[in-house]
Amino acid sequence: MLNRQVAPKLTPIKSIDFSVPEMYEIHAGIPLYWKNNIANETSKLELHFHAGTTIETPILASLTAGLLISGTKNKSAIQIQHALDAVGAYYDVSVSQEQAVVTLYALNSYLKQAFDIFHEAMTSAIFPEKEVQEICNERQEKLKVQLQKVNVLAQRKIQQVLFEETPYAQVISQGDYATVKRTKLIDFHQKHYLNGLAKVFLVGDLSSEEMHAIKAACADFAGKEYQPSACSFTGKTHIVHEEKTDALQSAIRIGKIMFNKTHPDFIAFSVMNTILGDYFGSRLMSNIREDKGYTYGIGSYMMENTHFGYFMIATEVAKEVREATIQEVKNELERLQTELVPEEELELVKSYLLGQLLKAADGPYAMLDLFSGVELHDMDMSFYNKYIKKIQEIKAEEIREMVCKHLDWKSLSIISVG
Amino acid sequence: MIHFERFKLENGLTVLFHKEASTPMAVVNLLYDVGARDESEEKTGFAHLFEHLMFGGSVNIPDFDGPLQAAGGESNAFTSNDITNYYDVLPAHNLDTALWLESDRMLSLAFTDKSLEVQRNVVIEEFKQRYLNQPYGDVWLELRPLAYTKHPYKWATIGKEIKHIEDAKMSDVKAFFKKHYHPSNCILCIIGNFELDYVKERVHHFFGSIPKAKKSARILPLEPAQDRFKSKTLVRNVPADAFYYAFKMPERKHPGYYFADLLSDIMGREKVSKMYVDLIKKQKLVSEINAYITGSMDEGLFIITGKLNEGKSFAELDKEIWKILAHYKTTLISKKELEQIKIKLRTARAFQDQGLLNRAMNLSFFELLGDANGINEEQEIYQSIHAEDLRTFANHLFAKKNGILLKVKKKKNA
Repeated sequence: MLNRQVAPKLTPIKSIDFSVPEMYEIHAGIPLYWKNNIANETSKLELHFHAGTTIETPILASLTAGLLISGTKNKSAIQIQHALDAVGAYYDVSVSQEQAVVTLYALNSYLKQAFDIFHEAMTSAIFPEKEVQEICNERQEKLKVQLQKVNVLAQRKIQQVLFEETPYAQVISQGDYATVKRTKLIDFHQKHYLNGLAKVFLVGDLSSEEMHAIKAACADFAGKEYQPSACSFTGKTHIVHEEKTDALQSAIRIGKIMFNKTHPDFIAFSVMNTILGDYFGSRLMSNIREDKGYTYGIGSYMMENTHFGYFMIATEVAKEVREATIQEVKNELERLQTELVPEEELELVKSYLLGQLLKAADGPYAMLDLFSGVELHDMDMSFYNKYIKKIQEIKAEEIREMVCKHLDWKSLSIISVG
Repeated sequence: MIHFERFKLENGLTVLFHKEASTPMAVVNLLYDVGARDESEEKTGFAHLFEHLMFGGSVNIPDFDGPLQAAGGESNAFTSNDITNYYDVLPAHNLDTALWLESDRMLSLAFTDKSLEVQRNVVIEEFKQRYLNQPYGDVWLELRPLAYTKHPYKWATIGKEIKHIEDAKMSDVKAFFKKHYHPSNCILCIIGNFELDYVKERVHHFFGSIPKAKKSARILPLEPAQDRFKSKTLVRNVPADAFYYAFKMPERKHPGYYFADLLSDIMGREKVSKMYVDLIKKQKLVSEINAYITGSMDEGLFIITGKLNEGKSFAELDKEIWKILAHYKTTLISKKELEQIKIKLRTARAFQDQGLLNRAMNLSFFELLGDANGINEEQEIYQSIHAEDLRTFANHLFAKKNGILLKVKKKKNA
């Protein structure tokens, strides 16, 4: 007879098999990583460029990325798009602070053709004036909508204060669009795309010839080796509230500059971060959503760049409980600084994290993303074995130490808008 | 081809199993045949509020998420106007944990006052965050009642108004559970590296003893055929004038559904569609434009939406929109364009099928439509559509009296 009050026995995860992609060199210091033997006919090509928002200005980075296939001497934007559509390919370009990533998706039998279309469009891009105007108009309209949202305003503000006096603090504002000149985009493209390839990731069952042909063509984007330079942050904290009278909710961002994977505390800090705010049962969710009902969601995150990372708590709450929410966040951090995390909670989070890692390693696409996460820091997949071992061994005392050492309330900037 | 097995328990639970040998994970997906269309007009937003309560503890297990997280898994759910779908993704060796949790909440909930009170607040904050505190956020709260006069699609999943959520009572919650949450109203789909016999045995073990209840007949108010073009203007504090043209389109099981879907793909294509080229590139009338379908079970909506450029009028736009619609009514889509859209569909589908969770949700949804194997037949339907089909269809779809227009006008000095 089934006793529903007794939970089924759990089997812990002891180890996970990690695999590395094959590596080929496009050019000195520029690798192509390839994962093949895929069980289906999908394929994906990612080109990473040193063309993020910090390399010059966000407006140039963003518009150049948006105009990569906007026309050549011989082909219009529409013709190029038709050519990509004819092979059923999709693409997107995402721009982060340090990199721009061009991703092509296609059935494996068409990926090489899709790449050829893209390659030709990119290497002979002329940035037609008309296209520049169109994208400026479109982006400007989109920005107007964005700037009405409290979460966007709070996010921009915290970025400005955390990274002040560095290129990382730059955000796009309405006025930037008036300053755009076609020649600047051409120049940006020349420097950071045609000579800015950082690395390439390829997933899919292509023939070895196709892979080698892609690799050879990628050399056209290679320039000299480049690393974002380290910058020093002021470390000043800011507490800012911006009133938005018509808002129904306030967006809150609480954060500070932190380290990335290369730091010895990284793994212990991530376990602590999960307990604090990075899963559905976290302290912040349990208190602020599930106990008080102040918000639809609250979370804490760690973001990583080449030389540093940052830590952030983010939420949108009812306007009248803004102060109460910030106080509760403070209480939760203090609890973690003064009380040891109970054994049961720590065990739960350990199992949860291992389960999530198993999922994050499931399948070739996921595995390559894991690899990409360590490759950025010149680390290898042994990081994940260390991660597993550390999770298995970590004690409540070390969790407490992480909060005491790195999350002193006075070291955090607090932004609210709404 | 996605292979699956189907079996039914005596209490009416339908179970689908799809073996995937390459994954260490398992997906457990439960589709309950209940959505916002099953609510009464005085108590809207209930199906969705209820979805939140499903995580507030069940009759024998005080906490849903904790044990699942301890098993290395996670869970979430969504509610639409048609269905409520719950899913758990966890390491395959802990499959029992998901079955244990899901079967207990199908058996009965804890129904604590605290859970109801808190989730009411959480949902109210969700209402504000997604529908009220965003530019254009309330469009669907307005468009639905404009498009539907009788059918329950006239309210959004989140509910008609916050008050309905504030007023939700425990007695309502219990009645809703009793009516909609029982084995014969659910499709359970399991994916993972298991054997069928094992899955059968485990499902029987956990779900077999849940009492059978009768699936209630769904009798929804029929939407009368629309006989005239309808429009409404909202004035809002938004940065640009926005427009939402909606046309009534066939229900999910009708062949016309596929025509509408393909036509929306063609018309909404980025950079190259006629709308994009004419209205953005040539005339500089709009800053963005798109077309899509709501994809609902009952009569749905084909939407054309976008934003006007500064200084352009709704009247200018209206003239151009109808010109474009007339084009699709009279001109055949070229063979080349049709081929392009079909191969794009193939690519999109291949990427979708990659994800285990997607497969589980789709299998469950097709089973609800009548047969999970529909997942394997759908591509063929799309691939067999001809340009003539689309032209004929466009003539029905884009009849003026079949249309609805919602304009969101920018408040002066906003």
